[in-house]
Amino acid sequence: MSAATAAISEQAPIPEDNSHPAQAKPALRDEGAKLGFRLTLPAQILVLFIALFPLLMQLYISLTDWSPLSGLGWWSAWSLWNNFANYTDLAADARFWSALKRTAIVMIVCVPAEFLLGLALATLFADEFPGKRIFYSILLMPMMVVPAVAGYMFFMLFQSGGPVNDILSALSGFPVTIAWLSDPTLALIAVMLADIWQWTPLMFLILLAGLVGVPEDQIKAATLLGANPWQRFVTIVLPKMKTIIIIALAIRVIENFKIFDTLYIMTGGGPGVATETISVYIYKLTTQDLIWGYVAAIALAILIVLSIAAVFAMKRMARAREVSA
Amino acid sequence: MSAIHLQNLVKKFSDFTALKTMDLAIADGEFMALLGPSGCGKSTTMNMIAGMEEPTSGKILFGERDMEGVPMARRGVGFVFQNYAIFSHMSVRQNLAYGPKMRGAPKAEIDRRVGAIAEMLQLTPLLDRKADRLSVNILQRVAIGRSAIMEPAIFLLDEPLSNVDAAFRAVMRTELKQLQRQFRQTMVYVTHDQLEAMTMADRIAVMDHGVLQQVGTPLEVYNNPANVFVARFIGAPGMNLLRGRPAESDRGLVIDLGPLGVTPPLPAEIADAVRGAPGDVLYGFRPEQVTLAEGGRGLSLPVTFVERIGARTIVHLGQGESAVKAVFDNDVGLAIGLTAVVAPAVHSVRVFDAGTGRAIKAGG
Repeated sequence: MSAATAAISEQAPIPEDNSHPAQAKPALRDEGAKLGFRLTLPAQILVLFIALFPLLMQLYISLTDWSPLSGLGWWSAWSLWNNFANYTDLAADARFWSALKRTAIVMIVCVPAEFLLGLALATLFADEFPGKRIFYSILLMPMMVVPAVAGYMFFMLFQSGGPVNDILSALSGFPVTIAWLSDPTLALIAVMLADIWQWTPLMFLILLAGLVGVPEDQIKAATLLGANPWQRFVTIVLPKMKTIIIIALAIRVIENFKIFDTLYIMTGGGPGVATETISVYIYKLTTQDLIWGYVAAIALAILIVLSIAAVFAMKRMARAREVSA
Repeated sequence: MSAIHLQNLVKKFSDFTALKTMDLAIADGEFMALLGPSGCGKSTTMNMIAGMEEPTSGKILFGERDMEGVPMARRGVGFVFQNYAIFSHMSVRQNLAYGPKMRGAPKAEIDRRVGAIAEMLQLTPLLDRKADRLSVNILQRVAIGRSAIMEPAIFLLDEPLSNVDAAFRAVMRTELKQLQRQFRQTMVYVTHDQLEAMTMADRIAVMDHGVLQQVGTPLEVYNNPANVFVARFIGAPGMNLLRGRPAESDRGLVIDLGPLGVTPPLPAEIADAVRGAPGDVLYGFRPEQVTLAEGGRGLSLPVTFVERIGARTIVHLGQGESAVKAVFDNDVGLAIGLTAVVAPAVHSVRVFDAGTGRAIKAGG
């Protein structure tokens, strides 16, 4: 043991030195690094506990059949060790895979829709027009509505005797009595409409900030050189907004993956499991089935998948920054 | 190439008049500087020539052609912005190729034109560099090249040197003047820096408060300012102006400056014109054209401040109404507290009507 530690402590500095070859004053740099390490240590410990501890706890529980009903404290969960059964179950859990697929569909529809609507609105709001400030405030309101309230709002709107059908009746001239929330396909559409309604404003807000930051004289210069509005948009505006577009999309992709509150109030994941997304599924497993070991396994699997996606996105972003810098 | 005629040009922004009835003829191939302090209407004039702003009334002609309603992209105008407005997310090549590409020129032609312009501006080795890490004189060349590739009849430059540090400006001025000789385009150059206008322009249009004050070659504007504003604005320091009353003496017409005494007699050709003018006048002379009067004939003033600027020394004399600046060699033996007797060179004296501010000229 002590021999091993000695070996490690002897070897430890070597890779660090190799990573910064031929620096002018290595002694001074090491001194600075040491001080920096000491100064950030408390914060690092804190972060470690916030990030690492729950993760380890989750990993631990996910390897067991532990449940709050088992009568054991979570730390004693080792006695319920189940030989990775949670993970093998997960691979075979059709309901999990279909929830994952549904979540992906919602994301593939909602995020691009929010992006395009937000970009169109931002382009509109980059110019002056009468009543701009009022429209601006109205446009941002959905974002401020508590998701639970928004859920009830859309629940009411999409009742078979609700306003949506009333409007459709008035427009078509026939009495429309679509049972939106009881039809598997229509329920999913209604849920996506609610998400688009609520989160387009955020997209709009971020994209508008990016759009306003595009240097005006470069746009003027492009105009003088003969670029039409569409050419200006494609060659100047979009490239200048690249970073902010990636950020906006990343925020919405991550948030949308966790879609829950509005949806749960509108449909409860139903009819059947027609609108059951990952979050809804996990919620049900946690509160109804109470199989927390399995829940921990799902959550961890998703976290790993999302982390890999995030790393890819960040690499992409860093490259974009390098290219545009 | 194209001449520019501005006829009765007026620009109002709601109730603020930015430009009051401007008439200006800029010859084909001329380098015209619009010079004035900020808010004088020079940029507004430039923007109207470019088509970025519509005149409230009046006409802009390029050659014989009325530009009313012609959108900026069709005016054949190259515009160099204050900060150059280089597309920083593109390479130098992409910047230069932007105009022809947007107008759908064939690729081979774009390559040929980019190659030619890059060669002319010595940008060839930099073609594939990102445009955002180039030094400011390269940016200037890219900005000019990007416009020049469209073969504009007219080049408009909006204070291109105002963001450049002082040491580099001289280099940039020389380079810009050389480029103009090369391209032979009509150039309109907006600036508030008289040094830029004086060194580069064929003619200068001095503006103030939306009014064109004087148009002339740099030397004309310096030597024969049309009015008090131009006299004070051009030159560093500007012309000395002392209020007085014409009076006859046995040596000819002099100006009685009150407590400062009497000036030397005016040159004969000005004297006649001054005799015909009513009321008080302003007696003007350049600080550079002042000598220390050994014999005591001249204006006797206390030294209030001495500014040493290297090769020269600017001596501030007197105070308030009778403040005078004089530029001497750096070895002048004057210090605060001493009294200097200074005499303006007779040929350099200009006289202005104190009421209207206009120059009183021989034969006018």
